[in-house]
Order: sequence, then structure tokens, then C-alpha cells
Amino acid sequence: MLNYLIKRLLWMIPMLIGISLISFFIMHLAPGDITASESAFNPKASEESRQKLRALYNLDKPLTTQYGLWLKRIVKLDFGNSFASHQRPVLWETKDAKGNITKGMIQDALPITLMINLIGLLIIFSISIFLGVTSAVNQNKWPDRLITIIVFIGFAVPGFWLALLLMYWTGVTHSWLPISGLHSVGYEKMGHVAQYVDLFKHLILPVSISSLGGLASISLYVRNGMLDVLQQEFITTARAKGLTENKVIYGHALRNTLLPLITIIGLSIPGLIGGSVIGESIFAISGMGKLFFDAVLMRDFPVVMGILTIGSVLTLFGNLIADIGYAWADPRIRRGISN
Amino acid sequence: MKNLTQNPLALSGLIIIIAILFIAIFAPWLSPYDPNYIDIQSILLPPSLSHFMGTDGLGRDVFSRMLYGSRISLLVGFVAVGIATIIGTFLGAIAGFYRGYTDSIIMRFVDIMLSIPTFFLILAVIAFLTPSIWNIMIVIGLTSWMGVTRLVRAEFLSLRNREYILAAEAMGASDYRLIAKHLLPNSLTPIIVSSVLGIASAVLTESGLSFLGLGVQAPQSSWGNILTDGKEYIQFAWWLSLFPGLAILITVLGYNLLGEGLRDLLDPKNKNQKK
Repeated sequence: MLNYLIKRLLWMIPMLIGISLISFFIMHLAPGDITASESAFNPKASEESRQKLRALYNLDKPLTTQYGLWLKRIVKLDFGNSFASHQRPVLWETKDAKGNITKGMIQDALPITLMINLIGLLIIFSISIFLGVTSAVNQNKWPDRLITIIVFIGFAVPGFWLALLLMYWTGVTHSWLPISGLHSVGYEKMGHVAQYVDLFKHLILPVSISSLGGLASISLYVRNGMLDVLQQEFITTARAKGLTENKVIYGHALRNTLLPLITIIGLSIPGLIGGSVIGESIFAISGMGKLFFDAVLMRDFPVVMGILTIGSVLTLFGNLIADIGYAWADPRIRRGISN
Repeated sequence: MKNLTQNPLALSGLIIIIAILFIAIFAPWLSPYDPNYIDIQSILLPPSLSHFMGTDGLGRDVFSRMLYGSRISLLVGFVAVGIATIIGTFLGAIAGFYRGYTDSIIMRFVDIMLSIPTFFLILAVIAFLTPSIWNIMIVIGLTSWMGVTRLVRAEFLSLRNREYILAAEAMGASDYRLIAKHLLPNSLTPIIVSSVLGIASAVLTESGLSFLGLGVQAPQSSWGNILTDGKEYIQFAWWLSLFPGLAILITVLGYNLLGEGLRDLLDPKNKNQKK
């Protein structure tokens, strides 16, 4: 296990370097000097901030030097300051000479996106395990066919369209649910319980939309996994020794189906972070996705680069945790039997 | 082809795709109005006999715009996936054929690309370039080849030591001949299936980007940018949201059905399993 861990951690180094190279490459895609193209699009960028940008990315030096200096800053987690938003720091809070703290933009946005996606992940797994198992156990009977149809439609529905329809239905015609932001007006004056209820109401629509895509793919995954496992010999053995069908399904088959799902969680992280762009923009939630989208619209390059890099690094760590979880859950890897 | 008619999944998918192809080709003859004609007299009219899907905020006929929008979704789907398939097949073939260091380097590159949130990557590239349909297609293509690479590599690895390949090699076939004449034709099934499924996700990505205003630019119509209007007028004009979304749903469903159906059909392993 220890060997596996060390090897896995060492692999992170070339991966991180690769990500930084790609991010750096994208930054230089812009025709000419990014400070020039930015000035045309972003009226908020003053000559002063353009100078700052040039200094930040050392645009007057050769490319290799630029990359080296940029990497040096990134390693120290210094992503510079935004052009807009009163030039707030991109990543984390800073203290000025007078001791005033300015909070970082990613620092504010990341917890919101993580909250929505983690709740979403929880919902995805509970519902899709149920759907997948039901489907597999009733293979080719009507519950299976019904679930398969739902899954196919789930794959094809554009999330933002469903979001619009839900907004129209619950927010505009019926006013059942709030359709934008995370808090109502006057949130600060509410009691604790009322605050939670308010947050809960605001979360229903965004969380449902963010769970949609994963729901279809993971249900299908659980179904196919279950079908594979149910054909194996240990299931026949379990049945032969007289276990109840429930014990066979949930005690033996499901456990073996769920193991690979740990890896799926890891792989779904980039989708979860990236998929938040449209949802958060529609529901006006100031998470990572909306922050990124606004930055793209305003050509706010330090924020774009910061989120791209941080998002990738988070994904890398998510995969790492998933791999370690998998190794930990699979005794063969844990004891170093297979490589 | 005979089997295709016996597989209801693939058949219904194929019918949907052919219908869309038909609409896209004959859009100029099918549309009752010029899709870009602005008519201030008839703004935001609900669906009626003269405007099947109503009119938008500029009085343009939504039905005509929808018909023309099918062209965009077809074009983006095919070109983006074409780019992704070419890159993916090329890299996967090299990795699976030569193995060793070449393989490691290519596969690590795949891992790196997979760890960058794709939608962020696409948006970032578009932020530095200017949004246009060509940029969208190229960017979607350049960010979605990783799956194909993995598939082709896996297929090559499993075929590489088969006897017929070794025999061809022993007879002095060049690397190019081995790859192009022997290995690639035998790996076509997964490539075709993943391309068809890839088109589905390219269509979804394009509509999302256009919805955000970073894809196809007005006055050119795409299902995504009609939905942008839908969001703006959500309180007055439900038809602007309903129809384009349905069109995207049906298109994506069509490609997915065809892809999954082809997978069942072309995969010899499934022949005995099926029903």
C-alpha cells in the first residue's frame, strides 16, 4: 500500500507540470499581446492594471523565462489580482498595510460550488444505485425498460433547458420556489432555522439540475455492473448455500458492483466543477462556474487562469483520493498482490 | 444493414438522424419565412397557424430559425467529432502500436487533458479567441479526443500479438501497413460507436455555449441561442424555451440511440447474449 501511495504521489509531479504547461499555452493563444486584446474588450482595465498584467506575466521577456517566472508564482499560489471587482485577489485573502482583509474570489466561490455538488453527488448515488439495482434485478422486464427509457432521456436532456422549464413552472407561474441566488432578501435578519429553510428552498432547483447528468450515467453503470456481477460464480454459490435473494443482491452483488464506483466519483469531478457554469449562471449563484463565466465575459485573465489551474489541480487531487480509496477498498491492491 | 432493421434502438436513432439531415438540407425550402427577417409588428407572438412556433423578441419566425438551427447542430457535431476522431485515432494507434515510452508519454498527456475541467478549458480558449462557429468546432474537437485515444490504444494492444498481425509482420509488412491495413480496420467498431456518441455530446456542448452567448453569434440562429432569448423572455414567451430544447433533446437522443444500437449490433460478443 505504501509503495502504491508513493508511486501515485510521484506521478502527480509530471501531471501538475503538464497542466501548468497547457494553461500557459492557452494564455498565449490570444493574438498579439493579451494586454492589448484585453484593453479592447474590458473597459474597466486601466492603463495601470495593464502595466500590472504585463509585469505579472513578464510579457517583455522570452517565453521560457515567462513560463519559469509564472510557475514560480503559481507554486506559491499567487494568482495575482482581478482586473474588475475592485481588484480583489484571485485566490485567497490578503491584508493591506492598514490591516484590512480583502477576501479572495475563489475563496468565496469554491465552498458554494462544492456544497451544491456534494449534495448533488449524494442524491445521484442514492437514486442511481436504487434505479440501477432495480433495473438489473428485473432485466428485460417492464421496470428495466422504463428505467432504461428514463436513463436515455436523462442523457439527452440539456440541463439548462430543464432549468429554464423548471424556473418557468415553479418560479414564474406558481411562485413555489425562489429561482435565483442562494438567499432571500432579509436573510441576515432571519433566525437560524429560518435561514436553513431559506437556503434549502434556494438549493432545490440548482441541486436537481446539477444531479441530472450524473444520475443517468451512474444508473446505467450500476445496472451493467450488477448484471456482470450477477453472472459470476460466487453469486451462484451464495444462492446455492440458501441465502435469501435480498442478501445475495445487497450483501454480495451490490458490494462488488460499488467498488469501481469509487473511481467514477473521481472521474466525475471535472464534470461537476465544469458543469456548474451554466447552472450557476441561470440561477445566479456566485460559485466557481459563474465566477469563471463572468471572468470570461470581462476578459479578466488573472481570474480565468486562476480558476482553470485551481480547477485542474482540484480534479487531480480528487482522482488521487479516489484511487487511494479504491486501493484501500480492494484488498488485492491493499496487500500489493496485483500492481 | 439487414440487422439494423431488427434492432429497434439503432433504427429509431437512424430515423431521427435522417429526418434531421433532411430538415437541415432542405431548410431554405421548408421555412415559411426568412429566419433573419425582423418584423417589429409581430414581436413575441404565441404559436399560431401563421407562426407554428411563435415569434421571438425581434419578431423573427421561430419555426424558420429552428429549421436553420439544425444545420448548425449537424455541422458542429460532425466537424468537432471529425477532428476529435482523427487526433484520437492517430495518437491511440501510435501509443498502442509502439508501446513503451511513446505509449507512456501519450497516455500521460491524455491523463493531463482529462484532469482539466473540459467546459472550463473550452470557455478559457474562447475567452482568448473570439466566439465564432469555427472556433467552437475546433475547440470542442481539440478537447474531446481523449476517449477515442484510450479506446484505440486498448484495441491495438489486444490485437497487437494476434497471429495474423505477427504473420503480416513476419512477411515484412511496414509499420504503416500493419496499422492502416490490419489493425485499424479491426478496431473500427469502437471508433464508430464512440464517434456517434461523441456527436451527441458535441451538440449538447455547442448548445450550452451558444446559450451562454459564447457560441454561434446572432443573427445566425442556433438552438442554443434561441434558448438565450427564451431565458430573457421567460415570463412572457414559453415557446422560445420549449421548442429549441425539445429539438436538442430529440437530436441528442437520436445519436445516443444510434450509438448504443450500433454497439450492440457490431460487437460480436453481444450476438449470443441478446435476448
